[in-house]
Amino acid sequence: MRLEVRVFSGLEKYIPGARFGRSIEVERPEGITVAELVDSLGIPRSQVFTVLVNGRHAAMDAVLQPGDRVSLFPPVGGG
Amino acid sequence: MKELTWEQQKRYQRNILLPGVGIEGQKKLLRGGVLVVGAGGLGSPVAYYLAAAGVGRLGLVDADVVDLSNLQRQILHRTGDIGRPKVESARDKLVALNPDVQVEVFPERLSAASAVSLIERYDIVVDCTDNFATRFLLNETCLRLGKPFIYGGVLAFAGQVMTVMPGAGPCLRCIFPHEPDPHVPGCAELGVLGAVPGVIGTIQATEAIKYLLGLGDLLVGRLLTYDALSMTFYEVSIDRDSGCPACS
Repeated sequence: MRLEVRVFSGLEKYIPGARFGRSIEVERPEGITVAELVDSLGIPRSQVFTVLVNGRHAAMDAVLQPGDRVSLFPPVGGG
Repeated sequence: MKELTWEQQKRYQRNILLPGVGIEGQKKLLRGGVLVVGAGGLGSPVAYYLAAAGVGRLGLVDADVVDLSNLQRQILHRTGDIGRPKVESARDKLVALNPDVQVEVFPERLSAASAVSLIERYDIVVDCTDNFATRFLLNETCLRLGKPFIYGGVLAFAGQVMTVMPGAGPCLRCIFPHEPDPHVPGCAELGVLGAVPGVIGTIQATEAIKYLLGLGDLLVGRLLTYDALSMTFYEVSIDRDSGCPACS
């Protein structure tokens, strides 16, 4: 199934060619979880602070559906 | 409220000229009170712009003293302020900029015990903190009191900002339900470009002023993200999380 992935605020560095906020289309097997998607992208799970799927927070064990829009963020917590 | 003096009409002339502001809008700002939590990289531009705009009452909360390593981005403080409490250093600059503004300083870390009594005295809260534990305390207290608050955060070349309006959109913990892993590096390890909190703090100040004026559309349910390297803003629409630990 096809997924639309966006990475933000420094997570770009883990995916060759990725740019801040630009969508990346990926093909993954049905039934894949958020955590498995993160692993398959080569991003350390510890660096992913929050995951939004179609604009809603999703847990790492959430199962993704075809066409889902997945956004990955590190903790942007400095002030 | 009494009429604006001649000096005030002149000082705020560029505000007053704006459609939707006028003398009445300026009086709203002068009657307004904003609590700025954190007087560092974000708090500096936030407090400066709110003071310059004539927001009548500013509360500043910060327990830290000025350190040499702050001065690359925390533009409220100067070399001669090193070692002074940040809130006192900040108050000096803000009062010098605009004597109309009453600056109330709280040289303490926001705690569960102090949060309610502090926040309830102000119209809106601006989050200029550097940690999620304090942000969550702000989030929960503001939800309880029905006060809006404006989240801001920065890291390296990136920043993000969102306005939380209790009852009208997602709260901070709809997006970030848990505190980050303490081993994940932050600005102290990864650095932060000084102008990045300038950009994000300026947006936070703009949101607070719009709220006090009742103008425009706030960043409710819209996480605005910024990347300085590609010079890109990207807005992520956020829905309330029905499983949110704070607002559901």
